[in-house]
Amino acid sequence: MARLLFLILLTLSASLAWAGPTLTVYTYPSFVSEWGPGPAVKQAFEAQCDCTLEFVALDSSVAILHRLRLEGESCTADVVLGLDANTLSDARQTGLLAPHDIDTSAVRLPVDWQDDTFVPYDWGYFAFVYDTQQLPDPPTSLDALINAPENLKIIIEDPRTSTPGLGFLLWMRKVYGDQAPAKWQALQKHILTVTKGWSDAYFSLFMNGEAPMVLSYSTSPAYHMAVDNTDRYQAAPFDEGHYLQVEVAARLRNSPHPELARKFLQFMLTPAFQREIPLKNVMYPAIDLGDELPDVFDRLIEPSRTLYFEPQTVAEHRKAWIDEWLNATAR
Amino acid sequence: MAQRDRTLTPPFSHPRWRAWPGRAVALLLAGVVAAGFSGLLAEWQWRAVSDLWQSAYLRQVIWFSVYQATLSTGLSLLLAIPVARALHRHPMFAGRGLLLRLTELSLVLPTIVAAFALVAVYGRSGWLNTALDGVGLPFRWNLYGLQGILLAHVFFNAPLAARILLQGLERIPANQWRIAAQLGLTSGPLWRTLEWPALRRVLPGLAVFIFILCFTSFAIVMTLGGGPSATTIEVAIYQSLRYEFDFSRAALLAMVQLLICGSLWLVASRHGTNRNLVPGANDQPGTLRRDARRRDRVLLYLFLVFLALPLLAVVFRGLPGLLGEAGDSQVWWSLGRSLSVALVAAILSCSCGLAILAASQLARHSGHHLSARLLESSGHLTLLVPALVLGTGLFILLRPQLGQPHQGLALVAGINALMALPFVLQVLRGPFATLPPNSLRVADQLNLRGSYRLRWLLLPLLRRPLLLAAAYAAGLSLGDFSVIALFGSPSAPTLPLLLFQQLSAYRIEAASGTAFVMLALLFVVFYILNRWGDRRRRHPASRRLAAGEHAHA
Repeated sequence: MARLLFLILLTLSASLAWAGPTLTVYTYPSFVSEWGPGPAVKQAFEAQCDCTLEFVALDSSVAILHRLRLEGESCTADVVLGLDANTLSDARQTGLLAPHDIDTSAVRLPVDWQDDTFVPYDWGYFAFVYDTQQLPDPPTSLDALINAPENLKIIIEDPRTSTPGLGFLLWMRKVYGDQAPAKWQALQKHILTVTKGWSDAYFSLFMNGEAPMVLSYSTSPAYHMAVDNTDRYQAAPFDEGHYLQVEVAARLRNSPHPELARKFLQFMLTPAFQREIPLKNVMYPAIDLGDELPDVFDRLIEPSRTLYFEPQTVAEHRKAWIDEWLNATAR
Repeated sequence: MAQRDRTLTPPFSHPRWRAWPGRAVALLLAGVVAAGFSGLLAEWQWRAVSDLWQSAYLRQVIWFSVYQATLSTGLSLLLAIPVARALHRHPMFAGRGLLLRLTELSLVLPTIVAAFALVAVYGRSGWLNTALDGVGLPFRWNLYGLQGILLAHVFFNAPLAARILLQGLERIPANQWRIAAQLGLTSGPLWRTLEWPALRRVLPGLAVFIFILCFTSFAIVMTLGGGPSATTIEVAIYQSLRYEFDFSRAALLAMVQLLICGSLWLVASRHGTNRNLVPGANDQPGTLRRDARRRDRVLLYLFLVFLALPLLAVVFRGLPGLLGEAGDSQVWWSLGRSLSVALVAAILSCSCGLAILAASQLARHSGHHLSARLLESSGHLTLLVPALVLGTGLFILLRPQLGQPHQGLALVAGINALMALPFVLQVLRGPFATLPPNSLRVADQLNLRGSYRLRWLLLPLLRRPLLLAAAYAAGLSLGDFSVIALFGSPSAPTLPLLLFQQLSAYRIEAASGTAFVMLALLFVVFYILNRWGDRRRRHPASRRLAAGEHAHA
């Protein structure tokens, strides 16, 4: 019995000694699922860091921020990964994040990115994905969509509960400015329904053929083309341009392993991390991957203009713009 | 000697074993809720109160929540009462077993699967409209709007109501049916003299229960509501918590919800429990009914179609994905994890339910009616308090060390058990309060206490409702996504988590396959537990005791 105990202790201590420090990363579930980039990223980073990389999946990207606020100073995570340009101002305000302190010259985004705290790791455009079998000639602009015959229906997500929903709200605002409420009213007749999240819209409705167009990402067709081998679902390019979505990571001020956290953020901007992004997170990589970018990405739409609000602007106006949208549509 | 001692004082026979487990569960629940609110109130600002009065948006949200929940409840009950009567009149109805299983199934489906299923049948390009088109009718059914919300809520809740009402009808003693049959009573007088008095005791509690379920409904209301005018309080709470970090507003809205639903609940429970309840009967008196009619069968078949069509849609969509899924070990591992979590949750939930009922019965017998009602109401807290508030409370109380898959799963099972508790109580409350007095008398004469009373009296007598309650708890846990997303581990997903992972990775076909597997699993669980409940009791001694035969011997 004593010998057995000794053996157990021995293996336990051996495994502890081997494991090195553990870097804890808060993220959203799809990043770490079997088909997400998480498993490959973990393997690649652990091969070079002499540490254990542990992903903690919270139920969504905003849940990461929620958790940060709840834990406050006692938060023991090292890195948060999965905030976006629309939540990063709130995250900054918690005062729990530290400057990244890394070289971000490799970053390639459609906008100029200068931020001392947040490091982008992927990006994409919001776009309407349409079913070519139901809709051979999709509208070519927001205007055309608003003025389309009434029987053209679209499915959108709610800006109060979902990231693409908020993205579309900002998109409308960027294009129409103060005219946005009137345009929302005009668009109203095309909106079949407004779902809680992307999965409800895409799976429950769009894939059931309920409407030929759904609010999604311009990169969505890449997955259908590369993995499902079908060209049936495409994104509709709009003349006014498309709103940009940037996903970012940051390290925490109270991180027990600040140096390791910095190393991870730097690793994030290398091909070893970035090559997992295109088909596993179905977004554009944040650095130039050269030939490693899958071919299908050449066949995606390339918006003529990139629409984007500074995170600070979004944080200041989000509530007012959402109320404006509610007033325009909830009658 | 030791042997004799044990028969005199069986394990757990001290009276405190009747009181304290239930009180402990109630305290735990109250603690979680208190922690959840205190977590939010830490950042309390009085401004939130004036906001509530001034904001047209919030007023509209509260009004809409009440409005749609009232309509949904009314419609669900209007459909459920005739269905329950028809089911009771036709105990030999072909397809009765299938219909009962389906009634249990619809409630526990994860909303995303249910939304998918309803849209496939009643959507713009769903089967209904295709059929209308095929017949050449110009009319098209539009799912999106209030009608869609009502349809979904009736789909979820009418079956549950029918199931519980049927249980109520089955508790009418057989001798009353015999007398009614001898008197040749027809449908109308039967309804007035037997059925309505029996249902009237169940209805207030059931109505409030369904009202709360509809009141707190969230994703399905948004998906089918057609726009932001269909917003329930739960959506507003989610919005305030997650996106606006307005914790005061979230706490205030959660309190409004607690106030509306909680006061209704207290009113209903006062009505439901203070009456003299009819003693239960275990016979199948349906054969004594002479008022069976053909249009009952038509109604039952229509109801069967109403329930089965959306589920068939899940099966059809899932089949192609299933072939791919079958080779993927991930789905079978997830199935195993889901099943073990569900079993633990079911056992825990039934135990907590029995504990609460025992404690509240004890309190009532000692004249503490208020504390009896409070005990039972505590079991419903998980229904009245928004999940996000509960999640915050649990987080503050437990600070789980995430990332340990098994620890996480154990936690999930525990929370699922508490979430299922309202359903378990709803199923067990009636049967528990109406245990046959003969059996109770015999048990008291034999001084049957503690674990022996549980083993030889309660378990045999409550076998069917207990297994039904267990099936509901297991089903709710199997379909649970929200808790598992908070405390589970993505590398060891349960079936619903796997479904969402597949969806967010665009694996639509695989996700449809997973939805099918989940549906099949739910069906099998309900089927097995019900079969088990219907089987004749194996122990003749307990049967005699349960039937109170000893007293006559």
